[in-house]
Amino acid sequence: MIRLKGGRVIDPVHGRDATGDVFIDNGRIAAAGANGRKADQTYDVTGKIVMAGAVDIHSHIGGSNVTMARLLMPELPALAAKGGAKIAPTPAAWGAFATGIRYAEMGYTTVIEPAMIPTHAIEAQRELSRIPIIDVGGLAILGNDDFTLGLLRDGAGKTALEDYVAWTLAHTKCLGIKVINAGGSAAFKFNARSFGLDEMVPGYGVTSRAIVQALQYAVTGLGVPHPLHVHCNNLGLAGNVDTAVATIEAAEGLPIHFAHIQFYGYGSEGPDGLSSGAARLIEAINAHKNVSVDIGQVMFGQTITLSGDILRQFDGRGAAKPKKWMINQGDGNGTGIVPYKYRAKNFVNAVQWAIGLEIMLLAEDLWRVLFSTDHPNGSLFVRYPEIVHLLMDKAERARWLEQVPEASRQVLNLPGITRELTFSEVAIITRGGPARLLGLTDRGHLGTGAVADVSVYSEQADKTAMFAHADLVFKDGELVVRDGEVVNVTWGRAFQVAPGFDAAIERRLDRFYDRYYDLNPSIFDVPADIAGRPERFATVPCLT
Amino acid sequence: MAVQVKRAKLAGDGALERASALLGRARLAVIGGLLTDIAGAEAALALAEKLGGVIDHAAGEGLCRASRIMRETGGCPASMGEVRNRADIVVLVGDGPLKREPGLLTALFPKKEGLPRPGNNSRGLVLLGCGEAEVPAHIPVTRIGLGNLDLATLVARLSAAVHQHQAQVLDDDLATTLQGLAERLRAGAFPVFVISYCDLDDQVLRTVLDMVRQLCVTTRAANLSVPAPGNGDGVNLCSVWTCGLPVRTSFASGLPEHDARMYGARRLIESGEADALLWVEALPTFGVERPQGVPTVVLSSTGNGATAADDVAIEVGCPGVDHDAELYLWSIAGIGMVKATRPNGGAPTVAEVLGRITERLGSPEARA
Repeated sequence: MIRLKGGRVIDPVHGRDATGDVFIDNGRIAAAGANGRKADQTYDVTGKIVMAGAVDIHSHIGGSNVTMARLLMPELPALAAKGGAKIAPTPAAWGAFATGIRYAEMGYTTVIEPAMIPTHAIEAQRELSRIPIIDVGGLAILGNDDFTLGLLRDGAGKTALEDYVAWTLAHTKCLGIKVINAGGSAAFKFNARSFGLDEMVPGYGVTSRAIVQALQYAVTGLGVPHPLHVHCNNLGLAGNVDTAVATIEAAEGLPIHFAHIQFYGYGSEGPDGLSSGAARLIEAINAHKNVSVDIGQVMFGQTITLSGDILRQFDGRGAAKPKKWMINQGDGNGTGIVPYKYRAKNFVNAVQWAIGLEIMLLAEDLWRVLFSTDHPNGSLFVRYPEIVHLLMDKAERARWLEQVPEASRQVLNLPGITRELTFSEVAIITRGGPARLLGLTDRGHLGTGAVADVSVYSEQADKTAMFAHADLVFKDGELVVRDGEVVNVTWGRAFQVAPGFDAAIERRLDRFYDRYYDLNPSIFDVPADIAGRPERFATVPCLT
Repeated sequence: MAVQVKRAKLAGDGALERASALLGRARLAVIGGLLTDIAGAEAALALAEKLGGVIDHAAGEGLCRASRIMRETGGCPASMGEVRNRADIVVLVGDGPLKREPGLLTALFPKKEGLPRPGNNSRGLVLLGCGEAEVPAHIPVTRIGLGNLDLATLVARLSAAVHQHQAQVLDDDLATTLQGLAERLRAGAFPVFVISYCDLDDQVLRTVLDMVRQLCVTTRAANLSVPAPGNGDGVNLCSVWTCGLPVRTSFASGLPEHDARMYGARRLIESGEADALLWVEALPTFGVERPQGVPTVVLSSTGNGATAADDVAIEVGCPGVDHDAELYLWSIAGIGMVKATRPNGGAPTVAEVLGRITERLGSPEARA
């Protein structure tokens, strides 16, 4: 048994913020003296902050789209490092191995890859299995694929779609379902260059609204713990807060999660036709308890954007910096990859940066407003400590605000916001909240029986420095990080859900793939032994 | 002296120790061929990192050409599924695509109804500088031969027409033909160029991709690339997600370093810079000859893969034949699973053999 002695234990799931001990036994959090045992190993963490391992709900860390971006831009780590990001300036720093190491150093122990292309699930799961230390889970992309659209066009009914969703989850071994610009990527194939919530997908005659609602019902009906994960239409367009609010209202009370909501927080007021829509957005989020969001915080510096919103990426290709882009017109959504550099002196970028912070700082219920940068779209995940610093320190925000154009300050709420998040609130948006929303009830907290993923930090005024490197990190009860560096490379699990389905859907899919692709879908069925390690996949129970 | 290892005897003899020793004492070892599945590629990368060696693939030149163009300009590819279902004009560039994929045309133009597609143009095929290719009768085809031009010039003239460049008009039949094709492409709902980057030079590839980008200004357009043989694309992608860089990467400095010319396996061996070779040919070799002249470990799935002159030869299973294998599949434009056609538990996989060699590298015997 391991004892972490005398730290300030922050566990908002159990309302705990007090000095005390945390015990670890056999990979789990234990009660003091559990099973009559005494600690045989004690770490004195007096004066330090003790939290559960962090959980990232939305970070593009593996899969064919990520590797295509690596191929397009091996110089990304070097350019990001040149701008001050804490990343080694080598292409390897963006590889699978380095990803796990850097996450662990920051105290993260679970990360969700939110955009797994079903036909490329084997590559994605294999890549994820090569990321050390952290546990992972994937969200499979549906909604622009011809099979879903065909079911909706033909009025196949709720059960058929549920069966297809369940079949997809089984084949991809994913934890949930994501829809990206529902119908928009399909419309792109018909040369659409924009696509609204109530526009029809050519050739199928179904609207974006209908696709989202049908998938919501299917995910909810199957009891998948994580709500449908939605990337809305009109990402990144001035005035798109209207779309986001309309989509929130269209959910009709069913659970729904909006990804990287910052990119939908744009009003169209002010002399430049762009303003913060954060207040309106957070008002809608506050009012709709069925809604959760992650932020997609932007940070200034070099990054690369990659998305299944191929329509938006195509439209945005002219802003590529460096001047190169890739539009991969694959089956289903496809992928658009556009390198981008957010600049503090750029009016639009400054507004984007501020809106993410505003949403988090204006939120009434942080359990539904979660931390993310949509890595790498808003910024690289290595920038998380700086964002936590901004959320916890209004003086730090004031320093950053001095860098941005006066014109942007005029259209923002941020200069007037004085809230500073507490450690408990940071633990909600980075631990308890995402774990709960994903249905991963064994983590994100330090209650007895929880998986022993624990991060220990030295409290510092400089929160960037504090959260960049944990003093200690335990993964499944094993010490993996000491003094900010990995000392033990372990290998984690991947989470999936496995609702059942009627075998009739398999026959239907076999016919579909044979007719239109001359293949059998078994070729992209992820095998249980893909990692070459036992018990790689852990099944999260569905809700009953 | 050669050590021939027969299947199912792997663990019991000294081949692995000899292979580890041979590679472990090398100043610079090259892992070449890499005609293997994803698991084999991963194991090769791990071994190269431990050795401080170099990895390359038998189709490394084409893979690196494609990777460099992607790195420098990006791209606009489409999947086979999208092209066969939605492309209205398909342009085959050069002989490469049909040479690599003889069944290509029936795959692209199946006698089946496709998915909903943009526009109402009838589907058609254009053979651009393709020679005398046979085309199934149901496919409407336009043939534009090389005439007295080379392919680069032909493609450049089409590109000029697509861009509507105000250049001196060459008043010949070809000019008229290319103008007509350019107009068809601009009016297309989804024109696609089919290319084989292993068979086209840098100039032609860049010109084709530039045409695609130009067409994208007003319509949807793409290129469909015939993959490199021998799971080249799969191995290359695996290299990228593992170390951030394509094949022809060296781990000699401790950090991966890519150079398409410097780290070619054949050049390293012929120049004397590399002093050991690990050659992997578990998949068919497509006629590639193994470099000679340095101590060599061969992993081969065919009896004739190794020669008496090899220092160590180890028989391995053929991916997708003897064992299930993850391979790059053109049909999904990604990595898929190929089930064994005649499963044979006797022959080890490339990954198993390389894993055991890597394990032994730290041992005193291997370093002796």
